[in-house]
Amino acid sequence: MVKEIERSGIPVVHICTVVPISLTVGANRIVPAIAIPHPLGDADLSKEDEYKVRMNIVKKSLEALTIDVTEQTVFEL
Amino acid sequence: MKLELGRINIKDVVLSDESKIVNGVLNVNANAIKEIVLKDERIKNVTIDIAKPNDSTRITPVKDVIEPRVKVEGNGDIFPGMISKMNTVGSGKTHVLSGCAVVTCGKIVGFQEGIIDMCGVGADYTPFSKLFNVCLVIEPVDNLTPYEYEDAARVAGLTIANYLGELGREITPDVVEVYETLPISQSVVNYPDLPKVAYVYMLQTQGLLHDTYVYGADAKKIIPTLLSPTEIMDGAITSGNCVSACDKNTTYHHLNNPIIKDLYSKHGKEINFVGVIITNETVYLADKERSSDFTAKLCKLIGVDAVIISQEGFGNPDTDLIMNCKKIEQEGIKTVIVTDEYAGRDGLSQSLADADPLANATVTGGNANEVILLPKMDKLIGTLDYVDKIAGGFDGSLRSDGSIEAEIQVITGATNELGFNKLTAREF
Repeated sequence: MVKEIERSGIPVVHICTVVPISLTVGANRIVPAIAIPHPLGDADLSKEDEYKVRMNIVKKSLEALTIDVTEQTVFEL
Repeated sequence: MKLELGRINIKDVVLSDESKIVNGVLNVNANAIKEIVLKDERIKNVTIDIAKPNDSTRITPVKDVIEPRVKVEGNGDIFPGMISKMNTVGSGKTHVLSGCAVVTCGKIVGFQEGIIDMCGVGADYTPFSKLFNVCLVIEPVDNLTPYEYEDAARVAGLTIANYLGELGREITPDVVEVYETLPISQSVVNYPDLPKVAYVYMLQTQGLLHDTYVYGADAKKIIPTLLSPTEIMDGAITSGNCVSACDKNTTYHHLNNPIIKDLYSKHGKEINFVGVIITNETVYLADKERSSDFTAKLCKLIGVDAVIISQEGFGNPDTDLIMNCKKIEQEGIKTVIVTDEYAGRDGLSQSLADADPLANATVTGGNANEVILLPKMDKLIGTLDYVDKIAGGFDGSLRSDGSIEAEIQVITGATNELGFNKLTAREF
């Protein structure tokens, strides 16, 4: 899906826990997620702290969309 | 560590007033089993039923399959840390009731439990159709969480397998197999010219009802470590997972791991089989990195020349598999990986979610997406309520005439990644 959307000219950020798979399938912009069962959440944290984590991932992803890349790039949090 | 496995061949299983083994016939007292299982307050009821090879019987949803064993000499008891006290097992003598198993089934725990057909085309896909199965149809008390239910069903299966195994304590085995693993420093002196080979045993440990236990420890919390293969034959590793039925390792698979058996058969002749490294398959990337780093480091520290790596389950564990393979290869150690495939119903899609050029020697247990039509069976043990919902089933899988059209993913053990099945794919 990442590749097909990008093929139509729309930049894509892949938020993904297992970064190596994202690299293998060929995503260009990758933002690491928390865990496979809860990519954007963390049940070990309080609701407030979980919100901060989620906000951070989304902000990082939006920022990644604005950056030109010439090769597969992982935007570490 | 040296273990003598005494196999008592079970030729039939019958319900009886007294549990005993007479001339290879396992007599099972259903009331005695019921009494043991119902000591667990989480279980409302249990029904005991027998399924024999070639019976027109379907068992579903299958949770675990366990071979009855008993420790007759040496440290500890079967399934240490789980249903018996923590004690290092893998030495002495163990008796095995060969040819039979305990099968736990009943209302679904998760959504990835399987089918065992005792005859017909489906029977060819599961090794458990060839066994005399003592089936426990478990009914949990109301409002029990899936986790508590899984735990209760798992402990019931292991306890009853050990109860039946105990009946073989005083019986002279039909066949005795001897397995021994020496300290590595000793075995390299004994076989200086043979390549040193280890087995990297990946355990499914993703949580959410996908877990495996080592001496009772939740394996998603372990750091990769070394085991003597004989410990595994005494039940050091038990299954607690409901991953797709076709490629989960039941406790029976762990006890009878064919990779370990084959490595032992070549030990001292073609190779020096030095031991087993167990590792996990977790849901955090950092854990995957740590575990694969440690696996590669252990391989290097014990100084092996080659390893076999087996996977359990599919999807993101493909990454654990490839990480292990890559990092071990980068240490200059040869690897062969054992996996299965999800290549679509036409077999044309990418088989694994991850790949690397260093994974250049692969054995496959087959394509789990292959569709099969299972004929109606005369008898059902368990319930057909979940056939459309289990992994590999789809809306309409269960047909009105009682037949089932589904992917072979639904069959317990169909594409097993230890090679405990008949399927494979070869390139010519």
